Amino acid sequence: MKKEKFLYGLFLFAAFIAVISILLIFLFVGIRGFPIISKVGLLNFIFGMDWTPTEGRFGAFPLIVGSLLVTLGALVIGGPLGVSVAIFLAEIAPDSMRRIVRPAVELLAGIPSVVYGFFGIVVIVPIIRKLVGGSGFGFLTGSVVLAVMILPTITTLSEDAIRAVPKKYTVGSLGLGATKWQTIRHVVLPVAAQGIISAIILGIGRAIGETMAVLMVLGNAPIIPTSLSDPMTTMTSVIALDMSYASGDHQVALFALGLILFLFSTSLVAIVRIYQMRGKVK
Amino acid sequence: MRRDWLPILILWVSAFAVIAFLLALIIYIAIKGIPILSLKFLFTFPRGIEARGGIFPTIMATFYTTILAGIFVTPVAVGGAVFLTEYAEEGWLIRIIRFGADILASVPSIVFGLFGLALFVYAFGLGYSMLAGGLTLSLMILPIVMRATEEAIMAIPQSYREASYGLGATKWQTIKNVVLPTASPRIVTGIILGIGRAFGETAALIFTAGMAINFPYFPSDPGRTMTCHLYLLATEGISTDIAFGTAFLLLIFILAFNLLARRFGEFSGGRR
Amino acid sequence: MKKALLFLVLFFGTLAVLGLLQRGKFKGSIEISGSTTLLPVTQAAAEEYMRENPEIRVSVQGGGSSAGIEAAAMGASDIGMSSRELKGEELKLDLTKYPVAVDAIAVIVNPKNPTDNLTKDEIRKIFSGEITNWKEVGGPDMEIIVVNRDEASGTREAFSKLLMKESEFTKKAVVQPGNGQVRAIVEGTPGAIGYLSLGYVTKSVKTVMLDGVKPSIETLRSGDYPLQRTLYYLTKGKPKKLAQDFIDFVLSERIQKEIIGKEFIPVEEIKR
Repeated sequence: MKKEKFLYGLFLFAAFIAVISILLIFLFVGIRGFPIISKVGLLNFIFGMDWTPTEGRFGAFPLIVGSLLVTLGALVIGGPLGVSVAIFLAEIAPDSMRRIVRPAVELLAGIPSVVYGFFGIVVIVPIIRKLVGGSGFGFLTGSVVLAVMILPTITTLSEDAIRAVPKKYTVGSLGLGATKWQTIRHVVLPVAAQGIISAIILGIGRAIGETMAVLMVLGNAPIIPTSLSDPMTTMTSVIALDMSYASGDHQVALFALGLILFLFSTSLVAIVRIYQMRGKVK
Repeated sequence: MRRDWLPILILWVSAFAVIAFLLALIIYIAIKGIPILSLKFLFTFPRGIEARGGIFPTIMATFYTTILAGIFVTPVAVGGAVFLTEYAEEGWLIRIIRFGADILASVPSIVFGLFGLALFVYAFGLGYSMLAGGLTLSLMILPIVMRATEEAIMAIPQSYREASYGLGATKWQTIKNVVLPTASPRIVTGIILGIGRAFGETAALIFTAGMAINFPYFPSDPGRTMTCHLYLLATEGISTDIAFGTAFLLLIFILAFNLLARRFGEFSGGRR
Repeated sequence: MKKALLFLVLFFGTLAVLGLLQRGKFKGSIEISGSTTLLPVTQAAAEEYMRENPEIRVSVQGGGSSAGIEAAAMGASDIGMSSRELKGEELKLDLTKYPVAVDAIAVIVNPKNPTDNLTKDEIRKIFSGEITNWKEVGGPDMEIIVVNRDEASGTREAFSKLLMKESEFTKKAVVQPGNGQVRAIVEGTPGAIGYLSLGYVTKSVKTVMLDGVKPSIETLRSGDYPLQRTLYYLTKGKPKKLAQDFIDFVLSERIQKEIIGKEFIPVEEIKR
């Protein structure tokens, strides 16, 4: 009996490591980052437009907006594309195509972000440069690369959601004389909508957290882009770039950015949870 | 039927677009990367101003950190999964743990890098090391492996357990001798997937394993993984051919991991 | 399971044993970090040094001048590399400076750009964002795309101090963490302008004359080209014996000529 109790405790501890880690991350990153908030003021930090850390100016707004903008850009491109592929896989694809497309998506998911960034630099940047001018490093390039990176997340989860739609709905619809597409559009998608939206929210989370690829193709200018060819930056890029040499207040500010990122991603998880629970009650 | 053709076409085009992009990426990197691949490339050190030569220490650093991550994550993930599936009762405890795991899975890699730096490198005093890198990576892949292990365990029919209890075994004996061995192929698949994920990591390692190009012999040694090396080459703009070689090697490894996980998965009869 | 354990023990065990053997071979080590401008030549010099002294291990890392200065001051590195002068708080640190090379910073533009000459004032206004189109300085009607270095860069710091003076860099500039990448962007973007260590200039980019003076080894020697800077090795107080040995090695005539001289001006050539 004692042994069982001990084992229970042991396994409980193992399971709790995940929870402990989260708390530790919050503590360590938060404690190291907080001093800058009290020094500069929360509003100044979040809404300040001037990010010149070497002069002691820590207005992080362009960075925060940058993360959001490039995520939005990635969603505009990758969202519809990802859901389309999901529908394709779940409803339209013949087995032969499925055997090709699904592994392809899984492979895309496994490619390291540096490789995406590298491919972005050598292939996508010159193309975008010809298309919209500028240096090729900027908003559009970042959005394109990021779109490809979040596509597998969106596709895989959306496909699950679509497949979860009970067969009797589709059969019923087709039985009433609807075409394949009509069935998809008016029956399958609405039922799967909740799952698809969750997939997209998780895609957002992935995009905001992405570091290497965006760092390599965005141009790292701490401004809010006004055109597709403008260089820009994100919170993640700034942390990665500056961390190797930042000291003092600068380093504290970077940890503060890390805290903001942590809160962002945690909120997204919470949002998905709440959203899914609401759906279940229905 | 006739009105349908446009949306259906769009769906087909989407699928082809994705395949096309993947092929473009792989083929481009392969074309530029294959010429570089040679025994010399794989087994010698980078030399000189332009980091010519090989990438041997980076290959070793990559394996060192990911294997360490695998070692650290396995007991925690399996232990945690066992708890969630076998010991715990449905309730707030399980919900908290799952919530924690989900949050952990969503944390950006750079935040893991900051955390690893603050905790393992500074607080634990490990310095830039394979150990610090491996520990950080293990936390990153914990949710993946734990979830895979959970699914593996849950897939085991209750009848197996009941048969074991019927023979007089305790809970732990059942888990140890029936559940885990039966689930192990899929658990291993999960570990392989987790290691595959750790393989491609960069941001978390720059600040925990360091960027020094030495050969890691001990866990306390710093090292530069292939991914970090590629990052350096790409952003310094030097030795683009070596960069392609490194990128291609990474792709090959990822492909191998994918296939390995798949082979294992088929062997044990699972879907994913 | 058992097989996996065996593999792991073999893997780490072999590495550890190899490591101990290597450590046994090494009687000492030198840790160097800092400026990426000095990194390639220092790495090359280190390799040469290790060839002559096989029982010494030298490891060279980048990170930027600021990181190198801090590492030297903290004792994390035996030698810190810097491509700029010490400033602010750093002057209070007990650091010994060893000039090892003299470098020029060249302003570069895309080869297709017809602009040949710019005044200091024009350059300043371009990099601060006041002048945004090439036609304002007598060139074609093309938007100016400014390429800047990251803030850790000693090159950026030197450029800022020598040319920008009180003006600040425009925030709209594309920022890259390496000399090579700056060159790559200027090489590929018709309207781009950037600055580089003279040692990194290749035929792929075009240098611009500064007030009529072309950046070259000759104008550097004669003192006509104003954007000059000294590159340093820094140590905390008096360097330990091995570090001193390496510094003397790098300052030796042979290394200055063969390695330093390939990218920069040997220190002796400039009478300061």
